[in-house]
Amino acid sequence: MRRAATMLMAVIALGAVSNLRASEMPRAGGWREIAWSFPRDGWPAGRAFRCIAGGCDGAELYIRAKRGFCNCDTGVADDDEVDRVTDIDLISPRFVPAGPGHAVGVAAMLGRIRLYDLDMPDGARHAATGLALSRRCDLLVAVAQGAGEANAVQSAALVFLETEEMTRWMAEALDGR
Amino acid sequence: MFRCVLTAAGLALFACSTVAYAQKQTIGAPPEASNMKLVGTNDLQARSAYQPTIHHQGDRWIAYIGHHGGTDDAPAPVNPMTGQAEPNGTSIVDVTDPARPKYLRHLPGQEGKYESGGAQMVRVCDGKTLPKGDPNAVYMLRTFGGEAHEIWNVTDPASPVLITRIAGLKDTHKSWWECDTGIAFLVSGAPEWRTRRMTQVYDLSDPAHPQKIRDFGLPGQEPGSTGAVPTELHGPISTGPNGNRVYFGYGTNKGGILQIVDREKLLTGPKEPTADNLRFPEISRMPMSAFNGAHTTFPMLDMPVAEFSEDKDGKTRDIVMIVDEAILNECGEARQMVWFADVTTETRPMMISSYTVPEASGQFCQRGGRFGSHSSNESMASVYYKKMAFIAFFNAGVRALDIRDPYHPKEVGYFIPAITAATDKRCIPVEGGERCKVAIQTNNVETDDRGYIYIVDRANTGLHILELTGPARAVAGLPRN
Repeated sequence: MRRAATMLMAVIALGAVSNLRASEMPRAGGWREIAWSFPRDGWPAGRAFRCIAGGCDGAELYIRAKRGFCNCDTGVADDDEVDRVTDIDLISPRFVPAGPGHAVGVAAMLGRIRLYDLDMPDGARHAATGLALSRRCDLLVAVAQGAGEANAVQSAALVFLETEEMTRWMAEALDGR
Repeated sequence: MFRCVLTAAGLALFACSTVAYAQKQTIGAPPEASNMKLVGTNDLQARSAYQPTIHHQGDRWIAYIGHHGGTDDAPAPVNPMTGQAEPNGTSIVDVTDPARPKYLRHLPGQEGKYESGGAQMVRVCDGKTLPKGDPNAVYMLRTFGGEAHEIWNVTDPASPVLITRIAGLKDTHKSWWECDTGIAFLVSGAPEWRTRRMTQVYDLSDPAHPQKIRDFGLPGQEPGSTGAVPTELHGPISTGPNGNRVYFGYGTNKGGILQIVDREKLLTGPKEPTADNLRFPEISRMPMSAFNGAHTTFPMLDMPVAEFSEDKDGKTRDIVMIVDEAILNECGEARQMVWFADVTTETRPMMISSYTVPEASGQFCQRGGRFGSHSSNESMASVYYKKMAFIAFFNAGVRALDIRDPYHPKEVGYFIPAITAATDKRCIPVEGGERCKVAIQTNNVETDDRGYIYIVDRANTGLHILELTGPARAVAGLPRN
């Protein structure tokens, strides 16, 4: 009887673990998926993650596809475009570039990345990274922000975006799937 | 029982075949039409077409048609008149006899494909109406890809002569040129501005000597500003010095804004591009849903509305028709459609009605290409103004609306051209590749003072000249044909 009860507990425990939403599982590089917390806007919601380890603790990363931009051939042309298209304004409309951005390639897509100083709604100042990548007429945008060191957050975010899981998801999101 | 099963199976097969027919256009099939009929066509050398402008020039009627850049398959199609491969630019067509349009000239544009090249936009003014123009001349203002605006002397439309070029820009789009004052609201991407498209106001009353008046945009777009960047401009329409308003439409398929601006303050107010100076001429701003943009903002002021004729106040209304632009193929976005705003109380504009083509009426989401609105006619000639509007609806062709009661716009006709061998495919990504379909992509529409309706195709199917038939003619007060 005791054995049966133990087996039942084990089955329940295993079930509970398997029922954990994928979003609650820690990911490579120590990113845990969290809820997309922004109100509905013109673009479908993306995915959000919080860094729980690896030197970027507490930083948050938001990523989503924006399908249907017109400048299909030129891609992400300049830093102004990064300012316009990344979702940094969802976090706070008060942001100032910390310097010029630079070209970057992630998951076989090219684009630009730029650092910002971000005034949070609670008055705190955070560092943020805005990333915009293009695939023909579509964009994949990401923004990472946190109280930690900007370059560390940026590096951790880029490593995470290059993982197989995220690369696959980005391709599907840009396909509209 | 067996007979019932057979009948049911037959009906099911018939239903399936009907749906399949509706979903796919085929070469050689007749156009789909209601209360509109084809008068004449021209293939426009199979170039992707954007904006048509029809100009009464002496005793002739000339169509000037802007083109997008080339395609992957034909980046610079051969002009059969010259035998040369030419980047898409401007087609000039004599449409005096609409049944037999005569292609006069292709004026090459900027090299580049799709939105990146060509010469998409075109406006035309007579020298005799421009304050400092040559009274014997006719002038065409066009974009040159994304990098410049140009003015050409098109007095002889078969032999245009370049007069002026305003260059060094990041992008260009749908401009407005007041022929009686020469003031032009050029849609540009000026260096240093934080947006791809904003307004550069020019005095083009002397086409040979453009005078810059100022730059204009939404606060947050100006050089040196920080923080969120407001939606980029799509195009303005001015009512000139008499109406003293400019209606700016921002956005394509998202985050649209209608901005109402005092024209006089815009022209004479402080010009430094600071946030305060950009706010100074603004009367009001109406943000739209994040789902919709404002491609065209077409003013129809002082419209008598029959329903309100017995009311003590508000018998006439100032209306702005706002047309969104669909961007994604096969309904990959929220529906882009037509909106009517009552701006009679200018500081409190309010959306009052909308119109869209019912998707199920043609299974348009499955036909291929874009489905949704793009643009309206912009002619204010009395033949249709404040009575009918024509809307380019991509794979649903052109739609004729009775707008006499803008609170209840009503479709009274449509025309979807047949595809041809020149019609280009439209593709969407699918797992492991692409899936492509061929469908009409009616991009723009314009009317002339005679009542002819001109539609042009983004997917290279050319120009179709139409006229109204049946009850639709009565809406415009046209005699029966």
